[in-house]
Amino acid sequence: MAKRRGKRRGKRRGESLTLRYAILGAWALFCLMPVLWFLSIGLRPRTEIITPQPIYLPSFSLDAWHMIWEDWPMARYLRNSVAAIIGSVVIDLVLAIPAAYSLSRFEYRGRDDIGFYILSTRMMAPAIVAVPIFFLFRNLGLLDTIWALMLIYAAINLSFVTWIIRSYMLDIPKELEDAAKTDGAGELRILWEIIIPAVLPGIITAAVIAMIFAINEFLFTLLIASTPEAYTMSVALANFTGGSDGIIYNAIALVAFLAFLPVFLVVVAIQKHLSRGLTMGAVKG
Amino acid sequence: MARIELNGIQKRWGDAWGVRDVDLDIADEEFVVFLGPSGCGKTTTMRMIAGLEDPSEGEIVMDGELMNDVDARDRDVAMVFQGYALYPNMTVYENIRFPLRMRGVPKREHDTLIHRAAELVELSDFLQRKPGALSGGQRQRAALARAIVRQPHVFLMDEPLSNLDAKLRQHMRVQIKHIQRELRITTVYVTHDQIEAMTLADRIVVMQSGAIQQIGSPDDIYNDPANTFVASFIGSPPMNLIDGTLADGTFTAPGVRVENLSGEHGGKVTLGVRPEDCAVVGDAAHLSGEVYGVEPTGDLTYLTLRTGDGSAGAPGGKMIEVKADRSYRAELKAPESVRFDTSRVYLFDTGTGRRLR
Repeated sequence: MAKRRGKRRGKRRGESLTLRYAILGAWALFCLMPVLWFLSIGLRPRTEIITPQPIYLPSFSLDAWHMIWEDWPMARYLRNSVAAIIGSVVIDLVLAIPAAYSLSRFEYRGRDDIGFYILSTRMMAPAIVAVPIFFLFRNLGLLDTIWALMLIYAAINLSFVTWIIRSYMLDIPKELEDAAKTDGAGELRILWEIIIPAVLPGIITAAVIAMIFAINEFLFTLLIASTPEAYTMSVALANFTGGSDGIIYNAIALVAFLAFLPVFLVVVAIQKHLSRGLTMGAVKG
Repeated sequence: MARIELNGIQKRWGDAWGVRDVDLDIADEEFVVFLGPSGCGKTTTMRMIAGLEDPSEGEIVMDGELMNDVDARDRDVAMVFQGYALYPNMTVYENIRFPLRMRGVPKREHDTLIHRAAELVELSDFLQRKPGALSGGQRQRAALARAIVRQPHVFLMDEPLSNLDAKLRQHMRVQIKHIQRELRITTVYVTHDQIEAMTLADRIVVMQSGAIQQIGSPDDIYNDPANTFVASFIGSPPMNLIDGTLADGTFTAPGVRVENLSGEHGGKVTLGVRPEDCAVVGDAAHLSGEVYGVEPTGDLTYLTLRTGDGSAGAPGGKMIEVKADRSYRAELKAPESVRFDTSRVYLFDTGTGRRLR
């Protein structure tokens, strides 16, 4: 009797698990539908995309794939994007970590005002500074270079990268630093060996968000990169909308998917840290 | 091993006082406990000894050397914190090793020293675990091992047992005292728990509102309190304090009359008597009242009496705690009489709280 009841309970548990997976799977499919739809556009012939009638069984084509790699210098765009984004994130972290440490751990006059000033730089509409920045980089001889993109992405993201890391640092008990001090550690050693490992989730969160913003950045990239020498993926996308060939939908979709994929994979890999980081940042302000 | 002198130490934050005029001489190898309620300045005083806070006034001297301008990392003190403050990204082994690395102890000695410290606190089996995988008691022991590993001049312990349960606290108390005696390191310990203070200390420093109220051995503090604050802070239940009048050696208060008290004082005084110095008697009583509560604990019974205006049952009287015999039982509101051990009755000035001797 007891055995039969146990069996029934086991069966019920199995059924409820299947149901749960089915619901979650359906939800995941619903959320990923735009991405899959985009991918399907990228892998179909161009003529099939612009037909007004719906096609329920699309044909498969690598036309767009060949086009973006062979007719366009997509490899260079990709390389430019990666270099500018990684470079900008490195610059951000090198500057933001000590700034956040100072803003969260030391007491000095005007500390909170400085913190707010840093954040306020993010509140300005980018278009307002577009022209001065163009002239600044032209005078520096940096127009149409990856270095300029690196600097501009870093400048755009620096404020919130600092702010996110600062929120994490505020959460670290002061006792940890006091313990390290009495153990004989200096400030830099405390930052490097105690604070940075403790706020690593926050640093990763800030870096990923900075990466996403940098990948999506369009205005300044268009302004600074005037030739394919410095084009990134986001600006390259715009090239598929003009010219004698008209709007090349499948190439746009494929490039957009390629731009989306690395960020998506990074976010999946670190999602545990990321969700915690975003929540903490939100609560701490 | 160090002697610590605090000379006129003060700490202010604007208008707020943290510590006022603390003068204290801590002998080499002594175990001194700062005892007091929250906000009394005990932790601030300890943090000033550690170099984590700067005194506003006064001098901190260790072994004859002025320490005011010496950085925390150069003071050769080791501190155990209330929240343990273990480095979460490091294993227990790495945590214990951290001060050795920071102080430039030769690498070849690290392993031996770490294992010796871990053995001393019975933590050898957990060296490869991270703090998150340890229980509260194990974390506390890891923090202790990190403090003792390099044999500092001074141990500072800031309520290190307050997060542990009662049984573990008792065990750790014995362990801390044993280690301190074995290593013979000058130790300053902060607590609000009088049992910890009484059991661990060579001397107790009782603090209130940033000022020292009394310094003395546990026996002195318990048996010879300097004022009503010390008298009521030490002891469980605390000393009964009854406001009344003293005239010709006779103390009177509503429901209380004690004759033949020595001393030449008179006027408004506060009489203090500990619950264990009160005996429930049928007649010749010093105090009468009605039973308010009876709490048997197995080895004794706590009796709470409410005194009145002289007649049992009068409302609004003072509560008096008595440690009665384990077999004592009574109905609530029953009249009861208590006699004090007059050789252990204390008199205090009601206005200042100071002891009248």
